[in-house]
Amino acid sequence: MSWPRIAPLGDGAITVALGDAVEPALNARVHRLAAAVRAAALPGVVDVVPAYAAVTVFYEPLHHGHAELAAALAPLAEAAVRDAPAAAPTSDATSGSLHRIPVRYDGPDLAEVARRTGLTPEEVVRRHAERTYAVYLLGFVPGFAYLGDLDASLVLPRRADPRPRVPVGAVAIAGRQTAVYPLPTPGGWHLIGRTDAPLFDAARTPPALLAPGDRVRFVPA
Amino acid sequence: MSDTPTLVVDGALPFVTVQDLGRPGHRHLGVPAGGAMDRWALQAANILVGNEPGAAALEWAVGGGMVRLAREGTIALTGAGADAELDGAPVRPWEPLHVRAGGTLAIRGLRGAFLYVALAGGIDVPSLMGSRATYLPGGFGGHDGRRLRAGDVLPLGPAASPAPAGFACPPELCRAIAGPGDDAPLRVVRGPQAGLLDATAWQTLLEAPFHVAPAADRTGYRLLGPPLSLTAEAALPSEPGCPGAVQLPPGGQPIVLMADAPTVGGYPKPLVVCAADLGCLAQRRPGDAVRFIEIDVAAAQRAYRRRRVALWTLSQLVAAGRY
Repeated sequence: MSWPRIAPLGDGAITVALGDAVEPALNARVHRLAAAVRAAALPGVVDVVPAYAAVTVFYEPLHHGHAELAAALAPLAEAAVRDAPAAAPTSDATSGSLHRIPVRYDGPDLAEVARRTGLTPEEVVRRHAERTYAVYLLGFVPGFAYLGDLDASLVLPRRADPRPRVPVGAVAIAGRQTAVYPLPTPGGWHLIGRTDAPLFDAARTPPALLAPGDRVRFVPA
Repeated sequence: MSDTPTLVVDGALPFVTVQDLGRPGHRHLGVPAGGAMDRWALQAANILVGNEPGAAALEWAVGGGMVRLAREGTIALTGAGADAELDGAPVRPWEPLHVRAGGTLAIRGLRGAFLYVALAGGIDVPSLMGSRATYLPGGFGGHDGRRLRAGDVLPLGPAASPAPAGFACPPELCRAIAGPGDDAPLRVVRGPQAGLLDATAWQTLLEAPFHVAPAADRTGYRLLGPPLSLTAEAALPSEPGCPGAVQLPPGGQPIVLMADAPTVGGYPKPLVVCAADLGCLAQRRPGDAVRFIEIDVAAAQRAYRRRRVALWTLSQLVAAGRY
């Protein structure tokens, strides 16, 4: 399969896929492409949304048709796949802000995570807090950042019994990822801690603490 | 007494929120654009009362309830057909209605899913991320991030000149703005994962009648019909979706993403309903039939531009009527 692939998402968006994997180097390329698309300031573009392996560009179809915008995106996408400098106005892959988030590691699932991983709770905390995570993307609910990758020893499937309501600020893990719940929502991740960091506030600019491509360290508090 | 014109909720409202054209520009932070389910109807109602097309108005999702204008003003109703009364007299949709100070609008029932009530001046709740739209899953926007209830008082902005009394949107222009009727097929374009359907499943998706399931809300409409299977196990890393995207979970029953749907998802999206016809889909209720007809993206964008031209034509007629 060859990349990039550029395809319409309806009549007001185009998805540029650079691959189909969840891995940090590919995701870093995605963020560079998103930055390049923003820097190009194409008329009518209203949203540039990076995900794991693709960037979706939302636009107003009064300004240009699909073919015209796809043609404008193609060279940026090709450059992103080749890791060419043209794709990277901010060429440093780790240029996103680094956030230090204080965490009280007293989550209701910490003991179970320790039991299932064969580690002590202290060791779970140490391994969770020793890494610098990348923000792959935001989604699920406003301000919810998918962070990775988790230490391989902490990888567990989601809970069999999702909670109907996870409290705001819960620090959680599932699969190779970790996250902080920004709003009270249902959730199936393992809750290992909590933070008072304001992940999302609709009245703030920007409303979300974390942005795609940022980096996060959790600091035991 | 304040000079600010206000809207007072007198009767309990089953499901009414403040909506405008939503808050694009924040999807990368996980914030859906949201806004009116039937964007064409919202814009037409605003134009009729002299507002900008994207001003904040009431989106009335279930019949019942009453609102009162504290000062005289102008309102217009579009979208779902409604059994509506202004001070006890039946009112017609798609025309500006003068309301006396203390005048009361009562909605008895709806024939369709979403009625829009625009008020001259627009609803002047605080703007968050460039929009006054209510986003219920996040509890923000609109009036305190929630549905309206009895006792709520909403400020209105300063009114411009509404359409003159006696003006009514010509029926053919109403149709050009609102789109195809109840039974018309909805135009769709191939989605990013159309290739995951085999020929039989594709034919089923385009030919079978589906019905809107009871689980239909501002985040999505589940469709009931013959189950559709994918040719391959689709292990898709989550990617952005959009309102109108028809996603296919493993169960094989499609879900059409609507205004408040999450920004990203991992299910394949074989089809996307065009923006021109998304309002028509929004107006279908549980049990209503849904059929699709495929067009290409260029045709979908022409249909979108025709809708926009129809709205512009309405604004020109309203402007001409003022002089």
